Amino acid sequence: MNTTELKQMANHLRFVAVDMVYKGKDGHPGPALSIADIVTTLYFDEMRVDPKNPEWEDRDRFILSKGHACPIWYAALSEKGFFGEKVEDFKLRALGSKFQGHPTMQKTKGVDMTSGSLGNGIAIGAGMALGGKHMKKDFNVFVIVGDGELQEGICWEGINTAAAHKLDNLIVFADRNGWQSGGSVEDTQGSNNIAERFAAFQWDVQEIDGHDIDAIKTAIANAKAAKGKPSVIVCDCVKGKGLSFMENDNAWHKGVPTDEQYEIAKKELLGGAQ
Amino acid sequence: MADFKGTREAFAQAIIDLAQNNDKIMFVSPDSLKAMRATKFAELYPDQYVEVGIAEQAAVATAAGLAATGCTPFVGTYAGFMTMRACEQMRTFVAYPELNVKFVGINSGLLGGEREGVTHQFYEDLGILSNIPNFTIFTPADGPQTYHAVKAAAEVDGPVYVRAGSGREADVYEKDVPFSMDGIRILKEYGDDVLLLSSGFVLDRVLKAAELLKEQGVGVTVGDINIINPKDPSKVIEAIKKAKRIVTVEDHNVNGGMGAYISRLVVENDPKPVKRMGLTTFGESGPAKELADHYGLSPENIAKTVKEM
Repeated sequence: MNTTELKQMANHLRFVAVDMVYKGKDGHPGPALSIADIVTTLYFDEMRVDPKNPEWEDRDRFILSKGHACPIWYAALSEKGFFGEKVEDFKLRALGSKFQGHPTMQKTKGVDMTSGSLGNGIAIGAGMALGGKHMKKDFNVFVIVGDGELQEGICWEGINTAAAHKLDNLIVFADRNGWQSGGSVEDTQGSNNIAERFAAFQWDVQEIDGHDIDAIKTAIANAKAAKGKPSVIVCDCVKGKGLSFMENDNAWHKGVPTDEQYEIAKKELLGGAQ
Repeated sequence: MADFKGTREAFAQAIIDLAQNNDKIMFVSPDSLKAMRATKFAELYPDQYVEVGIAEQAAVATAAGLAATGCTPFVGTYAGFMTMRACEQMRTFVAYPELNVKFVGINSGLLGGEREGVTHQFYEDLGILSNIPNFTIFTPADGPQTYHAVKAAAEVDGPVYVRAGSGREADVYEKDVPFSMDGIRILKEYGDDVLLLSSGFVLDRVLKAAELLKEQGVGVTVGDINIINPKDPSKVIEAIKKAKRIVTVEDHNVNGGMGAYISRLVVENDPKPVKRMGLTTFGESGPAKELADHYGLSPENIAKTVKEM
């Protein structure tokens, strides 16, 4: 896909994510929209996956460490064809649904790792990257973490491990939208200097606009070219990106659009590329 | 099988033997290479040794990632540092997705932690894991059984926890006795007055108690319970049905360990009196044998408890 098509796809997936939260009457739309452009670029430009063979051992792996943002991932997997026909009603969070409140690998095709309890994705990704190298596979492991999530201690255990083992097949996107459940990251913990911290742990570090598709593509190419160390792409993102009533309003960390807001979402997200 | 003495050495020898024909066997170490006596494994199979530093949560998470790519990782370290500090990783990222990760927890019980004191004595591990679905829990009784338990763990498809000690365990079994998947092995049949059940490294003490009781005219049957909450406990239920009364002995808190497991089986299948011997408090530092005696696990006290029942 070219950049224009990817932008359109990102907004389409944003709408599908909002739609599933609206219909399911529960979920985290703000965090999902924040990472829509990253997820779109990964699934529709970068990652080596086969929807017909989700267990393919040579596939690239993806871990959504900030698992609560899963509506955008479910939307991407559906669009990509992991569930056969595109899913019309996800029944998000409903009893018996394969679309759990947080990603669950044994229930949902294409989900490479269960996630949702914050902090674990980088260490698990390090394990996958180690496994890939050990078995002489050339797949990459992509992880998305939240900026608030990086307050979890285990993140830094995993960051240490990945650097120590020189896991250059591990690429982490840090979604720096500045917000966490209870408020702003800076108000909560004093600073949000992600790039400096990763650099101190000997990672390859880039900082980009997390909504600029071309910048995301370039950063992935750079990360893959950085040999002998894992890479982090610190992405400046807007929580709720793409919806006027949702952008940068942390009330949308978790929430369900009203009927009126749903109509606005249709207009703003399906009205064409920005 | 090469010679070894102690449960940690048994673990190391077992993974060396497993790795000989299987390059997917990995050892994930949160700085536990020496503690697990696995230095030789790392020398022989450097590509199968993954060091993460003093970081148990990352060790378990990394192992989950390895397992998700098709490897068979063993995480080995102090029982409590895994089951308590990394409990959530064991639950959510290994047990829930049923990933093929094996855990070997050393320093279990007073006998395992002994002089180190409470920070390094773990008598809660079985209770914690008993509440987590999909775990297979092995409690081998000595070094030789630990060797076979580790090898048996590799044969199980899914998460397994092997409870190990620190080298103070008395060996009871001959080296070539396999790890029974029945979940019970009857070792003495002196009578059916009492079914005396042991799990883990108190087995030699329980066997001595059985001899004391025999001398005093009390005939007991001794069973070694080597699996906690197995999928198929039919052999254990068979033994329970033959008994009049039951005494359980374990180096673990009485709530949540083997005694709790057996009590459930008894209540659900054939109600009769059960006395659980084990720990109800924290321990303290001390030489292993003195410590176990002091906290009620001497052969004399076990015999006395059986007689008083």
